[in-house]
Amino acid sequence: MLLYIMEFAELIKTPRVDGVVLHRPFMPTVEGTLCLTGHHLILSSRQDNTEELWLLHSNIDSIEKRFVGSLGHITVKCKDLRVIQLEITGMEECLNIASSIEALSTLDLVSLMYPFFYRPMFEVIEDGWNSFLPQNAFKDLESMTDEWRLSEVNKDFSLCPSYPPLVAVPKDFDDETLKKVATFRHGGRFPVLSYYHKKNGMVMMRAGQPLTGTNGRRCKEDEKLINATLRPGKRGYIIDTRAINVAQQAKARGGGFELEANYPQWRRIHKAIERYNVLQESLIKLVEACNDQSHSMDRWLSKLEASNWQTNVKEILTTACLAAQCIDREGASVLVHGTEGTDSTLQVTSLAQIILDPGCRTVKGFQSLVEREWLQAGHPFQQRCAQSAFSNSKPRHEAPVFLLFLDCVWQILRQFPCSFEFNESFLVLLFEHAYASQFGTFLGNSAAERARLCLPEKTVSLWSWVNRPQELERLTNPLYEPNSLVIWPSVAPQSLLLWEGVFLRWNRSSKCLDEAYEEMVHIIEYNKELQTKVNSLRRQLAQLETEDPLLHTP
Amino acid sequence: MEFAEHIKTANVEDVVLRQPLQPPSRGTLCITGHHLLFSDREESDSRQVLLLLRNIDAIEKRMSGSSGTITMKCKDLRVLQLDIPGMEQCLNIAHSIETLSCLDCVSAMYPFFYRPVDLSLPEQWGLSSPEMHYSQMKELYEKWRLSTVNRDYSVCPSYPPAVIVPKSIDDDTLKKAAKFRQGGRFPVLCYYHKKNGMVIMRSSQPLLGANRKRCKEDELLLQAVIEGSDKGYIIDTRSMQQAQQARMTGGGFESKSFYDRWKRFHRQMERGKALQESLIKLVEACGDESNNMDRWLSKLENSKWLSHVQNALSTAGLLVECVERDGHSVLVHGSEGTDCSLLISTLAQLIMDPCCRTMEGFLGLLEREWIQARHPFQQRCAHSAYSHARLQQESPVFLLLLDCVWQLWRQFPLALGFSEALLLRLATEVYASDYGTFLCNSDQERCALEVKERTHCLFRALLRPTERDYYSNPLYERTELAIWPSVHPQSLQLWKGYFLRWTQQVRHLEEAQEEIRNMVIEWGKLARS
Repeated sequence: MLLYIMEFAELIKTPRVDGVVLHRPFMPTVEGTLCLTGHHLILSSRQDNTEELWLLHSNIDSIEKRFVGSLGHITVKCKDLRVIQLEITGMEECLNIASSIEALSTLDLVSLMYPFFYRPMFEVIEDGWNSFLPQNAFKDLESMTDEWRLSEVNKDFSLCPSYPPLVAVPKDFDDETLKKVATFRHGGRFPVLSYYHKKNGMVMMRAGQPLTGTNGRRCKEDEKLINATLRPGKRGYIIDTRAINVAQQAKARGGGFELEANYPQWRRIHKAIERYNVLQESLIKLVEACNDQSHSMDRWLSKLEASNWQTNVKEILTTACLAAQCIDREGASVLVHGTEGTDSTLQVTSLAQIILDPGCRTVKGFQSLVEREWLQAGHPFQQRCAQSAFSNSKPRHEAPVFLLFLDCVWQILRQFPCSFEFNESFLVLLFEHAYASQFGTFLGNSAAERARLCLPEKTVSLWSWVNRPQELERLTNPLYEPNSLVIWPSVAPQSLLLWEGVFLRWNRSSKCLDEAYEEMVHIIEYNKELQTKVNSLRRQLAQLETEDPLLHTP
Repeated sequence: MEFAEHIKTANVEDVVLRQPLQPPSRGTLCITGHHLLFSDREESDSRQVLLLLRNIDAIEKRMSGSSGTITMKCKDLRVLQLDIPGMEQCLNIAHSIETLSCLDCVSAMYPFFYRPVDLSLPEQWGLSSPEMHYSQMKELYEKWRLSTVNRDYSVCPSYPPAVIVPKSIDDDTLKKAAKFRQGGRFPVLCYYHKKNGMVIMRSSQPLLGANRKRCKEDELLLQAVIEGSDKGYIIDTRSMQQAQQARMTGGGFESKSFYDRWKRFHRQMERGKALQESLIKLVEACGDESNNMDRWLSKLENSKWLSHVQNALSTAGLLVECVERDGHSVLVHGSEGTDCSLLISTLAQLIMDPCCRTMEGFLGLLEREWIQARHPFQQRCAHSAYSHARLQQESPVFLLLLDCVWQLWRQFPLALGFSEALLLRLATEVYASDYGTFLCNSDQERCALEVKERTHCLFRALLRPTERDYYSNPLYERTELAIWPSVHPQSLQLWKGYFLRWTQQVRHLEEAQEEIRNMVIEWGKLARS
């Protein structure tokens, strides 16, 4: 550990500069002392020694420097889309600060990240690392059906490096069969259970693409495995998140899709969900449009259109609705996959569950969903969230897949404002922590990597922090009323809005909206209080009436 | 009755009604002089639909075999469909709807027949009058007077009988100034800013013409407005070029040489036909079912509606800046001074004056600025977005105002005493109503037809306790500050509550609002008991 601290020290040429002026959106300008530590950029005003700014280096997406005489301006653009300016007197100081920030914000080594150094200042009531273990989730499943078992075939991550050690598979399939199926699926991602629909016993599974290649290789075990989830005489649906031509092209690289001839009981539907660079560029364009200062309505609307972000939201939601429809309305089982099965596949399976399962719309249920369908299911968070919309470096594996998922959840939440136990702030919080955090939850790219890094032992879980009463209170939706129904969001383009809470968060003052929200919370709480009072008065009255029968006779 | 000749078939059985958000229902259809009434035959959960024929903007009929389908597109943007058995019946019904929905005769309109049992015809029509308004504004007494120069509508047919003008200007001067302004709309006071004593005046364009006529009396009148101050501002709601072109047709603008203490701004605001076309395009875009995001966004952009909203709000912002920040009086006009001028003077008052943000205050403001100051409602709102009829004087200026107020409400959810529901109600009533408030084109016409004696007043009805509860904003907290709206394009949104009102998802939002409203009502009851 000491070694690391020494390494940071090397990167910090000027740890402290006085008289730095900080400009932030919708906040007064502050002058103070700027300090750089291994993980933070801190600005404290000299007057009362309070920190005005405490920014994780890992939250910094890019910086720009500019000089006017000897006054240096550093623009810091954050992954949470905030843009702040620092004015530093002295060219050398400014250059030193800038190069330190650049170096510290792009450290690649995971074990140097802040979560390994962070010690919680709060009491951990419930350790988040143990809150959502697969074996516990499986207990719920067992109470509903005995057709599935929990397999340990991947316990050393050798069969499928991106799967967790425990996965749910059809009961009648032994581990040997699973091993064979794994060789037939991209990245070893053989079909596993994602969701069991209690209402009709239908299931949703997910996998990687089948490796049919150009000569149409087949795998009997794979066919049997997924057929085992069908009811006699019933057909299932395979939702391929790629357009048909993309899926065709994948054959040349060894991938492919399930041929009708070999999977006669399945109907395949292709949906085109964008991936990788295309999504990253969409985000970059959107954020650029949101920060456009030109005041022209036409320009804004064309830029919004050109970014294609809303189209991406719509396509993902539409596909999720399709999956949910197959399960709930058609009474059919569904298998979802794209190429690797770690991005668009997870968007679809997790959103479908939000639509179908009221349990996923509670705070805990949603955490559990993120844990199951994103973290344990192997979404490579570290690669996807390495850079956000302001980065100048060439995108490699970056893509706002998780942000798009959160955006889709927000669209549903907005359309069903009473059906979710959590509010928009919770979604924004997850967005922030996926990109930069003091907690270890979103570190690493898979369960295997997290195990290697010993995250549960060495870092604090985001859930440990969130699941405390004071945080929960802030993240709970005051309008929530449990709704046991399936909720079908409208996916008409007219119904989908730009998620202002993230994309315009730093461009507009939210003071008035926050006040209104607080007022609403206040009204609802007061209402509850009065309700309780009325109930107790009624009870008292009833009691008095029974005690004193004379009251009835005038 | 004269309506009877238009009704060949008054009753049809076995009609299927399809309307948004509800399953189709089968029942009986009746046509009366003013209404289309549908009632289904369900014993238990009986449903009735009562639709003012005036609300129908366009109908389409389609025959197949012996039955027909009539699609009715309403001015409140609802689309209803009737499946009617029997070709003749269907044609008769269609003909009745077509004729009765666009009767021109004002005195035959429904407000003259609307007599609810729980409401007697009012002693006083409207909320206030120019006289009452003046008498309540003690601050005005020193420098302003109430002139009755227009008591018989001879000086300006579109002004009310009493207007507020500078005390030092006598009625003869006003008469001469009126001749120099289009339609006789000489500059009158519409708002007095208590904080600094500055005012907003409005008028129509001066009639300079090609040979640059001038009018000493008009100059004197304006001079009196800024007495004791170094200058005033004129906001012309036309571009410089448009204003110059207006000289060819006898109009014009205040030239620097004759009005040297007035600084003029030109802000081009869309009006008339262009605005109506914008509405038509927007509504078409909202009804687009192609499910294509790019297409939706480009159609939305193409309609330019949001640009008009932005433009109106930023011009109003300029006006507020002149009065509140810069501390000078302002004269607003365009050409006729009955559309854009009213739009921005109304918005400016909402932004500046907390009294205009209560429910009474807002309705009072509408009464002063739109009813008394005369917006030609009958011409502007004869048709809405669906009509195939050739456009004449239609223009959704008032709807644009409501949209802008909605943007304010969205940006300042605590500052307005009324809710979106009120704006939606007004947007519906302005096109088709039980009440006489939006009838006719001017005060003079209203008097001639005895609107004030023979119809009910919408604004008074809205202020009855039950209605008031329904339309008030549960989150309202009065603020004395000006509410400066952001006019960044990113800050403005499509008014979904109105334009997408008949789609499913807006319904859920309404339910949430309903929930809060119920809670507040419940709360009030409990607090009293």
